[in-house]
Amino acid sequence: MIKAIIIDDERLARNELKKLLMDYPEIEVVAEAANAGEGIEKIEHINPDLIFLDIQMPGKTGFDLLSELDRAPNVIFTTAYDEYALKAFEVNALDYLLKPVEPKRLADAIQKLHLQDEREQVNGGVVNVNRSILYEQDQVFVKDGERCWFVKLNEIRLFESVGNYAKVYFASNKPLILKSLNALEERLDEKMFFRANRKHIVNLRLIDKIEPYFNGGLLLELKGGEKIEVSRRQTVKFKEMMSL
Amino acid sequence: MVGFSLLFYSVFFMPSDKMTVERGLKMLVYVVAGIISTHVLREYIRRSGWLLLPIEKMFARLIIAIVATSILYSLLVIAFVEVLSISDSKEVNFFSKLLVTVLNLGIFIIPWTLIYYFYHYIEKSRRQQLDTLKLEALVKELELKTIKSHINPHFIFNALNSIRALIDENPGRARDAITELSNILRSSMQAEKLETVPFEKELNIVKDYLALEYIRFEDRLKVEYQIDEDTLDQPVPPMMLQTLVENAIKHGIGREVRGGVIKIVSDFKGDYHELIVQNSGKLNGHINEEGFGLSSTKNRLQLLFGDKSNFQIKQVNGNIVEATVLIPVTTN
Repeated sequence: MIKAIIIDDERLARNELKKLLMDYPEIEVVAEAANAGEGIEKIEHINPDLIFLDIQMPGKTGFDLLSELDRAPNVIFTTAYDEYALKAFEVNALDYLLKPVEPKRLADAIQKLHLQDEREQVNGGVVNVNRSILYEQDQVFVKDGERCWFVKLNEIRLFESVGNYAKVYFASNKPLILKSLNALEERLDEKMFFRANRKHIVNLRLIDKIEPYFNGGLLLELKGGEKIEVSRRQTVKFKEMMSL
Repeated sequence: MVGFSLLFYSVFFMPSDKMTVERGLKMLVYVVAGIISTHVLREYIRRSGWLLLPIEKMFARLIIAIVATSILYSLLVIAFVEVLSISDSKEVNFFSKLLVTVLNLGIFIIPWTLIYYFYHYIEKSRRQQLDTLKLEALVKELELKTIKSHINPHFIFNALNSIRALIDENPGRARDAITELSNILRSSMQAEKLETVPFEKELNIVKDYLALEYIRFEDRLKVEYQIDEDTLDQPVPPMMLQTLVENAIKHGIGREVRGGVIKIVSDFKGDYHELIVQNSGKLNGHINEEGFGLSSTKNRLQLLFGDKSNFQIKQVNGNIVEATVLIPVTTN
Protein backbone atom coordinates (compact mmCIF):
# COMPACT_ATOMS: atom_id res chain seq x y z
CA MET A 1 0.00 0.00 0.00
CA ILE A 2 1.33 3.45 -0.92
CA LYS A 3 0.26 6.26 1.37
CA ALA A 4 -0.26 9.43 -0.65
CA ILE A 5 -1.09 13.07 0.06
CA ILE A 6 -2.52 15.46 -2.53
CA ILE A 7 -1.44 19.09 -2.14
CA ASP A 8 -3.27 21.57 -4.39
CA ASP A 9 -5.05 24.82 -3.61
CA GLU A 10 -8.10 23.94 -5.72
CA ARG A 11 -10.67 21.60 -4.27
CA LEU A 12 -11.87 20.55 -7.73
CA ALA A 13 -8.35 19.74 -8.87
CA ARG A 14 -7.83 17.54 -5.80
CA ASN A 15 -11.16 15.80 -6.44
CA GLU A 16 -10.30 15.21 -10.06
CA LEU A 17 -6.99 13.60 -9.13
CA LYS A 18 -8.60 11.44 -6.45
CA LYS A 19 -11.08 10.26 -9.01
CA LEU A 20 -8.27 9.31 -11.39
CA LEU A 21 -6.43 7.53 -8.60
CA MET A 22 -9.42 5.27 -7.88
CA ASP A 23 -8.12 3.06 -10.70
CA TYR A 24 -5.04 2.34 -8.57
CA PRO A 25 -6.12 0.48 -5.44
CA GLU A 26 -2.50 0.25 -4.27
CA ILE A 27 -2.44 4.03 -3.81
CA GLU A 28 -4.37 5.27 -0.83
CA VAL A 29 -4.95 9.03 -0.58
CA VAL A 30 -4.69 9.51 3.16
CA ALA A 31 -4.83 13.29 3.30
CA GLU A 32 -5.24 16.49 1.31
CA ALA A 33 -3.85 19.97 1.80
CA ALA A 34 -4.84 23.29 0.21
CA ASN A 35 -1.58 25.14 0.72
CA ALA A 36 2.11 24.61 1.48
CA GLY A 37 1.86 25.29 5.21
CA GLU A 38 -0.91 22.74 5.67
CA GLY A 39 1.03 20.37 3.42
CA ILE A 40 4.22 20.49 5.48
CA GLU A 41 2.23 19.83 8.66
CA LYS A 42 0.50 16.79 7.17
CA ILE A 43 3.67 15.39 5.61
CA GLU A 44 5.52 15.58 8.91
CA HIS A 45 2.60 14.06 10.77
CA ILE A 46 1.64 11.29 8.37
CA ASN A 47 4.96 10.54 6.72
CA PRO A 48 3.51 9.62 3.31
CA ASP A 49 5.30 7.53 0.69
CA LEU A 50 4.17 9.79 -2.11
CA ILE A 51 2.92 13.33 -2.58
CA PHE A 52 1.14 14.87 -5.54
CA LEU A 53 2.29 18.45 -5.41
CA ASP A 54 0.99 21.57 -7.18
CA ILE A 55 3.61 24.24 -7.86
CA GLN A 56 1.66 27.51 -7.81
CA MET A 57 -0.15 27.86 -4.51
CA PRO A 58 -0.99 30.82 -2.32
CA GLY A 59 1.80 31.73 0.08
CA LYS A 60 4.56 29.27 -0.64
CA THR A 61 5.11 27.33 -3.86
CA GLY A 62 5.50 23.58 -4.08
CA PHE A 63 9.26 24.03 -4.45
CA ASP A 64 9.37 26.09 -1.24
CA LEU A 65 7.49 23.33 0.53
CA LEU A 66 10.02 20.70 -0.52
CA SER A 67 12.97 22.85 0.52
CA GLU A 68 11.57 23.01 4.01
CA LEU A 69 11.28 19.26 4.43
CA ASP A 70 14.20 17.39 6.00
CA ARG A 71 13.47 14.29 4.01
CA ALA A 72 11.72 14.47 0.66
CA PRO A 73 9.17 11.74 -0.04
CA ASN A 74 8.55 10.58 -3.62
CA VAL A 75 7.02 13.50 -5.44
CA ILE A 76 4.89 13.75 -8.56
CA PHE A 77 4.44 17.40 -9.50
CA THR A 78 1.17 18.61 -10.95
CA THR A 79 0.82 21.91 -12.77
CA ALA A 80 -1.55 23.44 -15.30
CA TYR A 81 1.07 25.33 -17.22
CA ASP A 82 4.06 27.03 -15.78
CA GLU A 83 6.97 27.63 -18.10
CA TYR A 84 9.37 28.19 -15.26
CA ALA A 85 8.43 24.96 -13.49
CA LEU A 86 8.34 22.96 -16.72
CA LYS A 87 11.89 24.02 -17.43
CA ALA A 88 12.99 22.91 -13.97
CA PHE A 89 11.28 19.54 -14.48
CA GLU A 90 12.84 18.94 -17.85
CA VAL A 91 16.33 19.94 -16.79
CA ASN A 92 16.21 17.64 -13.79
CA ALA A 93 14.04 14.84 -15.17
CA LEU A 94 11.56 15.13 -12.30
CA ASP A 95 8.23 13.47 -12.75
CA TYR A 96 5.33 15.77 -13.42
CA LEU A 97 1.74 15.68 -14.62
CA LEU A 98 0.07 18.43 -16.61
CA LYS A 99 -3.47 19.29 -15.58
CA PRO A 100 -5.94 18.21 -16.86
CA VAL A 101 -4.14 14.92 -16.24
CA GLU A 102 -4.01 12.39 -19.02
CA PRO A 103 -4.77 8.91 -17.58
CA LYS A 104 -1.95 7.39 -19.65
CA ARG A 105 0.61 9.82 -18.18
CA LEU A 106 -0.62 9.04 -14.69
CA ALA A 107 -0.23 5.30 -15.37
CA ASP A 108 3.36 5.87 -16.55
CA ALA A 109 4.24 7.91 -13.47
CA ILE A 110 2.86 5.26 -11.13
CA GLN A 111 4.60 2.50 -13.05
CA LYS A 112 7.89 4.35 -12.66
CA LEU A 113 7.27 4.62 -8.95
CA HIS A 114 6.79 0.86 -8.62
CA LEU A 115 9.99 0.15 -10.54
CA GLN A 116 11.92 2.47 -8.28
CA ASP A 117 10.46 0.77 -5.21
CA GLU A 118 11.52 -2.66 -6.42
CA ARG A 119 15.02 -1.46 -7.17
CA GLU A 120 15.37 -0.08 -3.68
CA GLN A 121 14.19 -3.31 -2.15
CA VAL A 122 16.78 -5.27 -4.14
CA ASN A 123 19.44 -2.86 -2.93
CA GLY A 124 18.76 -4.03 0.59
CA GLY A 125 15.73 -2.16 1.74
CA VAL A 126 16.81 -1.36 5.26
CA VAL A 127 13.86 -0.69 7.47
CA ASN A 128 14.58 2.68 8.97
CA VAL A 129 14.05 2.36 12.67
CA ASN A 130 14.53 5.95 13.59
CA ARG A 131 12.62 8.34 11.32
CA SER A 132 14.45 11.40 12.61
CA ILE A 133 17.73 10.14 11.17
CA LEU A 134 18.44 10.40 7.45
CA TYR A 135 19.74 7.15 5.98
CA GLU A 136 21.54 6.52 2.73
CA GLN A 137 18.44 5.76 0.68
CA ASP A 138 16.68 8.88 1.93
CA GLN A 139 16.55 11.81 -0.43
CA VAL A 140 16.59 15.53 0.12
CA PHE A 141 15.25 18.22 -2.15
CA VAL A 142 17.78 20.89 -3.07
CA LYS A 143 16.97 24.04 -5.00
CA ASP A 144 19.48 26.51 -6.29
CA GLY A 145 18.04 29.31 -8.41
CA GLU A 146 16.39 27.73 -11.42
CA ARG A 147 17.79 24.28 -10.84
CA CYS A 148 16.56 21.72 -8.39
CA TRP A 149 17.40 18.14 -7.51
CA PHE A 150 16.30 15.21 -5.45
CA VAL A 151 19.56 13.92 -4.02
CA LYS A 152 20.04 10.58 -2.33
CA LEU A 153 22.23 10.92 0.72
CA ASN A 154 24.64 8.29 -0.57
CA GLU A 155 25.42 10.60 -3.50
CA ILE A 156 26.50 13.48 -1.27
CA ARG A 157 30.26 13.69 -0.72
CA LEU A 158 30.51 16.70 1.48
CA PHE A 159 28.65 19.38 3.42
CA GLU A 160 30.55 22.63 3.82
CA SER A 161 29.53 25.42 6.16
CA VAL A 162 29.12 28.84 4.50
CA GLY A 163 27.71 31.31 7.01
CA ASN A 164 24.17 30.23 7.83
CA TYR A 165 24.11 27.98 4.80
CA ALA A 166 25.59 24.66 3.95
CA LYS A 167 27.07 23.89 0.56
CA VAL A 168 26.10 20.41 -0.62
CA TYR A 169 28.58 18.63 -2.89
CA PHE A 170 27.22 15.91 -5.19
CA ALA A 171 28.15 14.94 -8.76
CA SER A 172 29.37 18.20 -10.29
CA ASN A 173 26.94 20.38 -8.34
CA LYS A 174 27.34 22.30 -5.12
CA PRO A 175 24.16 24.25 -4.32
CA LEU A 176 23.49 25.96 -0.99
CA ILE A 177 20.81 24.93 1.50
CA LEU A 178 19.61 26.98 4.43
CA LYS A 179 20.74 24.64 7.22
CA SER A 180 23.53 24.86 9.77
CA LEU A 181 26.20 22.17 9.88
CA ASN A 182 25.31 21.38 13.52
CA ALA A 183 21.66 20.83 12.65
CA LEU A 184 22.68 18.58 9.77
CA GLU A 185 25.10 16.59 11.92
CA GLU A 186 22.29 15.71 14.31
CA ARG A 187 20.12 14.34 11.51
CA LEU A 188 22.75 12.42 9.56
CA ASP A 189 23.53 8.74 10.05
CA GLU A 190 26.85 8.75 11.91
CA LYS A 191 27.91 5.49 10.33
CA MET A 192 27.99 7.29 7.05
CA PHE A 193 28.78 10.95 7.69
CA PHE A 194 31.66 12.23 9.75
CA ARG A 195 32.34 15.73 11.10
CA ALA A 196 35.94 16.28 9.96
CA ASN A 197 36.31 19.78 11.35
CA ARG A 198 34.29 22.88 12.22
CA LYS A 199 33.46 23.55 8.60
CA HIS A 200 33.06 20.15 6.95
CA ILE A 201 31.02 16.93 7.17
CA VAL A 202 32.30 14.21 4.82
CA ASN A 203 30.71 11.03 3.49
CA LEU A 204 32.94 8.19 4.77
CA ARG A 205 32.04 6.01 1.81
CA LEU A 206 33.19 8.53 -0.71
CA ILE A 207 36.73 9.01 0.59
CA ASP A 208 39.41 8.29 -1.98
CA LYS A 209 42.68 8.74 -0.07
CA ILE A 210 43.80 9.30 3.50
CA GLU A 211 47.14 10.99 4.24
CA PRO A 212 48.82 12.09 7.46
CA TYR A 213 48.86 15.86 7.95
CA PHE A 214 50.42 18.48 10.24
CA ASN A 215 50.04 18.23 14.02
CA GLY A 216 48.96 14.62 13.86
CA GLY A 217 45.89 15.46 11.80
CA LEU A 218 44.76 13.79 8.59
CA LEU A 219 44.06 14.96 5.07
CA LEU A 220 41.18 13.26 3.28
CA GLU A 221 40.83 13.33 -0.46
CA LEU A 222 37.24 12.75 -1.59
CA LYS A 223 36.12 11.05 -4.81
CA GLY A 224 35.37 14.47 -6.29
CA GLY A 225 38.93 15.68 -5.64
CA GLU A 226 38.10 17.88 -2.64
CA LYS A 227 40.80 17.86 0.06
CA ILE A 228 39.51 18.08 3.60
CA GLU A 229 41.61 18.43 6.72
CA VAL A 230 40.59 16.40 9.79
CA SER A 231 41.19 18.34 13.01
CA ARG A 232 43.44 16.75 15.61
CA ARG A 233 40.62 16.04 18.01
CA GLN A 234 38.47 14.46 15.29
CA THR A 235 41.42 12.44 14.00
CA VAL A 236 41.40 10.35 17.16
CA LYS A 237 37.71 9.67 16.69
CA PHE A 238 38.19 8.94 13.00
CA LYS A 239 40.90 6.36 13.68
CA GLU A 240 38.75 4.71 16.31
CA MET A 241 35.84 4.40 13.91
CA MET A 242 37.98 3.08 11.12
CA SER A 243 39.70 0.44 13.22
CA LEU A 244 36.39 -1.07 14.23
CA MET B 1 28.99 69.16 -63.66
CA VAL B 2 31.90 71.49 -62.99
CA GLY B 3 32.78 70.94 -66.59
CA PHE B 4 29.35 72.16 -67.63
CA SER B 5 29.38 75.17 -65.35
CA LEU B 6 32.74 76.13 -66.77
CA LEU B 7 31.32 75.76 -70.23
CA PHE B 8 28.49 78.13 -69.39
CA TYR B 9 30.93 80.49 -67.76
CA SER B 10 33.03 80.55 -70.87
CA VAL B 11 30.05 81.11 -73.11
CA PHE B 12 28.75 83.96 -70.96
CA PHE B 13 31.92 85.81 -70.20
CA MET B 14 33.87 85.51 -73.40
CA PRO B 15 32.82 87.79 -76.20
CA SER B 16 32.04 85.68 -79.21
CA ASP B 17 34.07 87.81 -81.62
CA LYS B 18 37.24 86.75 -79.80
CA MET B 19 36.43 83.09 -80.35
CA THR B 20 39.34 81.36 -81.93
CA VAL B 21 40.25 77.71 -82.35
CA GLU B 22 42.79 78.14 -79.61
CA ARG B 23 40.24 79.47 -77.14
CA GLY B 24 37.80 76.72 -78.00
CA LEU B 25 40.50 74.14 -77.47
CA LYS B 26 41.44 75.69 -74.14
CA MET B 27 37.82 75.63 -73.06
CA LEU B 28 37.63 71.97 -73.97
CA VAL B 29 40.72 71.36 -71.84
CA TYR B 30 39.08 72.99 -68.82
CA VAL B 31 35.89 71.01 -69.31
CA VAL B 32 37.62 67.63 -69.69
CA ALA B 33 40.05 68.23 -66.82
CA GLY B 34 37.12 69.41 -64.63
CA ILE B 35 35.10 66.30 -65.35
CA ILE B 36 38.05 64.01 -64.63
CA SER B 37 39.08 65.66 -61.37
CA THR B 38 35.58 65.94 -59.90
CA HIS B 39 34.86 62.34 -60.80
CA VAL B 40 37.96 61.27 -58.93
CA LEU B 41 36.69 63.23 -55.92
CA ARG B 42 33.20 61.70 -56.19
CA GLU B 43 34.57 58.19 -56.42
CA TYR B 44 36.76 58.84 -53.40
CA ILE B 45 33.89 60.24 -51.31
CA ARG B 46 31.75 57.23 -52.14
CA ARG B 47 34.36 54.59 -51.41
CA SER B 48 35.38 56.01 -48.05
CA GLY B 49 31.74 56.46 -46.99
CA TRP B 50 32.01 60.12 -46.12
CA LEU B 51 28.29 60.62 -46.52
CA LEU B 52 27.67 58.49 -43.45
CA LEU B 53 29.89 60.63 -41.23
CA PRO B 54 28.43 63.24 -38.88
CA ILE B 55 28.60 66.72 -40.26
CA GLU B 56 31.17 68.09 -37.78
CA LYS B 57 33.68 65.46 -38.81
CA MET B 58 33.25 66.49 -42.43
CA PHE B 59 34.60 70.07 -42.32
CA ALA B 60 38.30 69.27 -42.20
CA ARG B 61 37.85 66.49 -44.74
CA LEU B 62 35.97 68.74 -47.15
CA ILE B 63 38.65 71.45 -46.98
CA ILE B 64 41.40 68.94 -47.72
CA ALA B 65 39.27 67.45 -50.48
CA ILE B 66 38.72 70.86 -52.06
CA VAL B 67 42.41 71.72 -51.97
CA ALA B 68 43.43 68.31 -53.32
CA THR B 69 40.85 68.42 -56.11
CA SER B 70 41.87 71.95 -57.09
CA ILE B 71 45.49 70.88 -57.32
CA LEU B 72 44.59 67.80 -59.34
CA TYR B 73 42.43 69.88 -61.61
CA SER B 74 45.20 72.46 -62.09
CA LEU B 75 47.81 69.81 -62.79
CA LEU B 76 45.56 68.28 -65.42
CA VAL B 77 44.88 71.64 -67.02
CA ILE B 78 48.56 72.56 -67.06
CA ALA B 79 49.50 69.20 -68.47
CA PHE B 80 46.93 69.37 -71.27
CA VAL B 81 47.90 72.94 -72.08
CA GLU B 82 51.55 71.97 -72.27
CA VAL B 83 50.88 68.96 -74.44
CA LEU B 84 48.70 70.91 -76.81
CA SER B 85 51.08 73.90 -76.56
CA ILE B 86 48.29 76.42 -76.41
CA SER B 87 49.69 78.32 -73.45
CA ASP B 88 49.37 82.08 -73.52
CA SER B 89 50.69 82.58 -70.01
CA LYS B 90 53.77 84.69 -69.43
CA GLU B 91 54.64 82.81 -66.25
CA VAL B 92 57.65 80.60 -66.79
CA ASN B 93 58.00 79.21 -63.26
CA PHE B 94 55.98 76.01 -62.93
CA PHE B 95 55.04 76.55 -59.30
CA SER B 96 53.77 80.06 -59.71
CA LYS B 97 51.83 78.87 -62.73
CA LEU B 98 50.37 76.09 -60.62
CA LEU B 99 49.49 78.47 -57.79
CA VAL B 100 47.64 80.83 -60.07
CA THR B 101 45.70 78.01 -61.68
CA VAL B 102 44.84 76.46 -58.34
CA LEU B 103 43.46 79.75 -57.04
CA ASN B 104 41.48 80.36 -60.19
CA LEU B 105 40.00 76.91 -60.35
CA GLY B 106 39.49 76.59 -56.60
CA ILE B 107 36.75 79.19 -56.88
CA PHE B 108 34.77 76.74 -58.99
CA ILE B 109 35.64 73.65 -57.02
CA ILE B 110 34.55 75.04 -53.63
CA PRO B 111 30.85 75.66 -54.38
CA TRP B 112 30.66 72.56 -56.51
CA THR B 113 31.99 70.28 -53.77
CA LEU B 114 29.81 71.89 -51.11
CA ILE B 115 26.69 71.60 -53.24
CA TYR B 116 27.49 68.00 -54.06
CA TYR B 117 28.09 67.11 -50.43
CA PHE B 118 25.07 68.86 -48.94
CA TYR B 119 22.72 67.59 -51.60
CA HIS B 120 23.71 64.03 -50.80
CA TYR B 121 23.76 64.66 -47.10
CA ILE B 122 20.18 65.96 -47.04
CA GLU B 123 18.99 63.24 -49.38
CA LYS B 124 20.52 60.60 -47.16
CA SER B 125 19.10 61.85 -43.88
CA ARG B 126 15.69 62.21 -45.49
CA ARG B 127 15.81 58.58 -46.57
CA GLN B 128 16.98 57.53 -43.14
CA GLN B 129 14.09 59.34 -41.50
CA LEU B 130 11.68 57.62 -43.81
CA ASP B 131 13.13 54.21 -42.98
CA THR B 132 12.93 54.90 -39.24
CA LEU B 133 9.28 55.90 -39.56
CA LYS B 134 8.45 52.76 -41.53
CA LEU B 135 10.24 50.62 -38.98
CA GLU B 136 8.46 52.29 -36.09
CA ALA B 137 5.08 51.66 -37.68
CA LEU B 138 5.96 48.02 -38.18
CA VAL B 139 7.13 47.58 -34.61
CA LYS B 140 3.98 49.26 -33.33
CA GLU B 141 1.79 46.93 -35.32
CA LEU B 142 3.68 43.86 -34.16
CA GLU B 143 3.64 45.01 -30.56
CA LEU B 144 -0.11 45.53 -30.58
CA LYS B 145 -0.59 42.09 -32.05
CA THR B 146 1.50 40.23 -29.51
CA ILE B 147 0.17 42.24 -26.58
CA LYS B 148 -3.42 41.63 -27.56
CA SER B 149 -3.23 37.95 -28.25
CA HIS B 150 -1.93 37.26 -24.79
CA ILE B 151 -4.05 35.06 -22.59
CA ASN B 152 -2.46 33.16 -19.78
CA PRO B 153 -2.17 29.44 -20.65
CA HIS B 154 -2.02 28.62 -16.97
CA PHE B 155 -5.54 29.99 -16.65
CA ILE B 156 -6.86 28.04 -19.63
CA PHE B 157 -5.55 24.68 -18.44
CA ASN B 158 -6.62 25.25 -14.87
CA ALA B 159 -10.09 26.14 -16.08
CA LEU B 160 -10.25 22.99 -18.21
CA ASN B 161 -9.17 20.91 -15.26
CA SER B 162 -11.86 22.43 -13.04
CA ILE B 163 -14.47 21.84 -15.70
CA ARG B 164 -13.52 18.19 -15.97
CA ALA B 165 -14.01 17.80 -12.23
CA LEU B 166 -17.35 19.64 -12.46
CA ILE B 167 -18.73 17.29 -15.10
CA ASP B 168 -19.60 14.73 -12.41
CA GLU B 169 -20.13 17.09 -9.53
CA ASN B 170 -22.30 19.75 -11.15
CA PRO B 171 -23.03 19.12 -14.84
CA GLY B 172 -25.05 22.32 -15.26
CA ARG B 173 -22.23 24.47 -13.96
CA ALA B 174 -19.79 22.55 -16.19
CA ARG B 175 -21.86 23.43 -19.25
CA ASP B 176 -21.91 27.12 -18.32
CA ALA B 177 -18.21 27.05 -17.69
CA ILE B 178 -17.55 25.75 -21.18
CA THR B 179 -19.58 28.63 -22.63
CA GLU B 180 -17.66 31.13 -20.51
CA LEU B 181 -14.32 29.72 -21.56
CA SER B 182 -15.38 29.76 -25.23
CA ASN B 183 -16.34 33.44 -24.94
CA ILE B 184 -12.96 34.33 -23.51
CA LEU B 185 -11.03 32.38 -26.12
CA ARG B 186 -13.13 33.84 -28.94
CA SER B 187 -12.67 37.37 -27.73
CA SER B 188 -8.94 36.95 -27.28
CA MET B 189 -8.72 35.78 -30.89
CA GLN B 190 -10.87 38.65 -32.16
CA ALA B 191 -8.83 41.09 -30.12
CA GLU B 192 -6.03 40.67 -32.64
CA LYS B 193 -8.15 42.29 -35.33
CA LEU B 194 -9.64 45.18 -33.37
CA GLU B 195 -8.04 48.28 -31.94
CA THR B 196 -10.89 48.97 -29.52
CA VAL B 197 -14.20 47.39 -28.45
CA PRO B 198 -17.21 48.84 -26.58
CA PHE B 199 -16.63 48.65 -22.84
CA GLU B 200 -19.76 46.52 -22.41
CA LYS B 201 -18.24 43.75 -24.49
CA GLU B 202 -15.02 43.85 -22.52
CA LEU B 203 -16.95 43.82 -19.25
CA ASN B 204 -18.84 40.69 -20.30
CA ILE B 205 -15.55 38.93 -20.96
CA VAL B 206 -14.28 39.96 -17.56
CA LYS B 207 -17.48 38.63 -15.97
CA ASP B 208 -17.02 35.29 -17.73
CA TYR B 209 -13.41 35.23 -16.67
CA LEU B 210 -14.23 35.91 -13.04
CA ALA B 211 -16.98 33.29 -13.09
CA LEU B 212 -14.38 30.74 -14.17
CA GLU B 213 -11.90 31.88 -11.57
CA TYR B 214 -14.66 31.55 -9.01
CA ILE B 215 -14.88 27.85 -9.84
CA ARG B 216 -11.20 27.58 -9.02
CA PHE B 217 -11.01 29.75 -5.95
CA GLU B 218 -14.55 29.16 -4.64
CA ASP B 219 -15.06 31.12 -1.41
CA ARG B 220 -11.63 32.64 -1.59
CA LEU B 221 -12.76 34.99 -4.36
CA LYS B 222 -15.29 37.80 -3.89
CA VAL B 223 -16.14 40.21 -6.69
CA GLU B 224 -17.76 43.66 -6.58
CA TYR B 225 -18.82 45.78 -9.55
CA GLN B 226 -19.49 49.51 -9.58
CA ILE B 227 -20.34 50.39 -13.17
CA ASP B 228 -21.75 53.67 -14.50
CA GLU B 229 -24.07 52.43 -17.28
CA ASP B 230 -23.28 55.41 -19.48
CA THR B 231 -19.71 54.19 -19.82
CA LEU B 232 -20.82 50.93 -21.42
CA ASP B 233 -20.46 52.20 -24.99
CA GLN B 234 -17.08 53.86 -24.50
CA PRO B 235 -14.35 52.27 -26.65
CA VAL B 236 -11.62 50.47 -24.76
CA PRO B 237 -8.64 48.36 -25.94
CA PRO B 238 -9.79 44.72 -26.06
CA MET B 239 -8.53 42.39 -23.31
CA MET B 240 -6.98 45.28 -21.37
CA LEU B 241 -9.35 45.26 -18.40
CA GLN B 242 -9.15 41.48 -18.55
CA THR B 243 -5.35 41.62 -18.22
CA LEU B 244 -5.63 43.93 -15.21
CA VAL B 245 -8.17 41.66 -13.53
CA GLU B 246 -6.04 38.63 -14.27
CA ASN B 247 -3.11 40.44 -12.66
CA ALA B 248 -5.23 41.31 -9.63
CA ILE B 249 -6.21 37.65 -9.25
CA LYS B 250 -2.67 36.42 -9.68
CA HIS B 251 -1.09 38.81 -7.20
CA GLY B 252 -4.02 39.52 -4.90
CA ILE B 253 -6.13 36.37 -4.59
CA GLY B 254 -3.77 33.65 -5.75
CA ARG B 255 -1.14 34.54 -3.20
CA GLU B 256 -3.41 34.82 -0.19
CA VAL B 257 -4.34 31.63 1.59
CA ARG B 258 -7.65 33.17 2.62
CA GLY B 259 -8.25 34.88 -0.72
CA GLY B 260 -9.72 38.36 -1.05
CA VAL B 261 -11.93 40.83 -2.91
CA ILE B 262 -11.71 42.12 -6.48
CA LYS B 263 -13.53 45.37 -7.22
CA ILE B 264 -14.12 46.80 -10.70
CA VAL B 265 -15.13 50.44 -11.16
CA SER B 266 -16.03 52.24 -14.38
CA ASP B 267 -17.16 55.89 -14.46
CA PHE B 268 -16.48 59.32 -15.96
CA LYS B 269 -13.95 61.62 -14.43
CA GLY B 270 -13.85 64.98 -16.21
CA ASP B 271 -13.01 64.31 -19.84
CA TYR B 272 -11.83 60.84 -19.06
CA HIS B 273 -13.31 57.38 -18.84
CA GLU B 274 -11.89 55.97 -15.64
CA LEU B 275 -11.41 52.23 -15.09
CA ILE B 276 -10.30 50.96 -11.70
CA VAL B 277 -9.38 47.44 -10.64
CA GLN B 278 -8.81 46.93 -6.93
CA ASN B 279 -7.61 43.83 -5.17
CA SER B 280 -6.87 43.13 -1.56
CA GLY B 281 -3.20 42.59 -0.91
CA LYS B 282 0.03 44.50 -0.78
CA LEU B 283 2.15 45.91 -3.55
CA ASN B 284 5.60 44.50 -3.42
CA GLY B 285 8.17 47.21 -4.07
CA HIS B 286 9.12 46.23 -7.60
CA ILE B 287 6.03 47.17 -9.60
CA ASN B 288 7.86 47.46 -12.90
CA GLU B 289 9.22 43.99 -12.65
CA GLU B 290 5.81 42.49 -12.07
CA GLY B 291 5.88 41.22 -15.55
CA PHE B 292 3.76 41.24 -18.61
CA GLY B 293 0.43 42.60 -17.36
CA LEU B 294 1.43 46.08 -16.30
CA SER B 295 4.01 46.87 -18.93
CA SER B 296 1.72 45.67 -21.71
CA THR B 297 -1.14 47.84 -20.42
CA LYS B 298 1.13 50.88 -20.31
CA ASN B 299 2.46 50.19 -23.81
CA ARG B 300 -0.95 49.62 -25.34
CA LEU B 301 -2.36 52.84 -23.93
CA GLN B 302 0.68 54.73 -25.12
CA LEU B 303 0.42 53.25 -28.60
CA LEU B 304 -3.31 53.90 -28.93
CA PHE B 305 -3.81 57.24 -27.17
CA GLY B 306 -0.29 58.66 -26.71
CA ASP B 307 0.05 61.02 -23.76
CA LYS B 308 -3.71 61.57 -23.51
CA SER B 309 -4.14 58.40 -21.50
CA ASN B 310 -2.81 57.49 -18.10
CA PHE B 311 -2.15 54.33 -16.16
CA GLN B 312 -0.97 53.90 -12.62
CA ILE B 313 -0.97 51.33 -9.88
CA LYS B 314 -0.70 52.15 -6.21
CA GLN B 315 -1.36 50.99 -2.68
CA VAL B 316 -4.44 52.53 -1.00
CA ASN B 317 -5.64 52.11 2.58
CA GLY B 318 -2.75 49.86 3.49
CA ASN B 319 -4.20 46.62 2.19
CA ILE B 320 -5.74 47.39 -1.20
CA VAL B 321 -3.87 47.57 -4.50
CA GLU B 322 -5.51 49.83 -7.06
CA ALA B 323 -4.83 50.00 -10.79
CA THR B 324 -6.33 53.03 -12.56
CA VAL B 325 -6.67 53.66 -16.29
CA LEU B 326 -7.75 56.99 -17.75
CA ILE B 327 -8.83 57.04 -21.40
CA PRO B 328 -10.03 60.18 -23.20
CA VAL B 329 -13.83 60.16 -23.55
CA THR B 330 -15.19 59.56 -27.04
CA THR B 331 -18.46 61.29 -27.92
CA ASN B 332 -20.51 60.28 -30.90
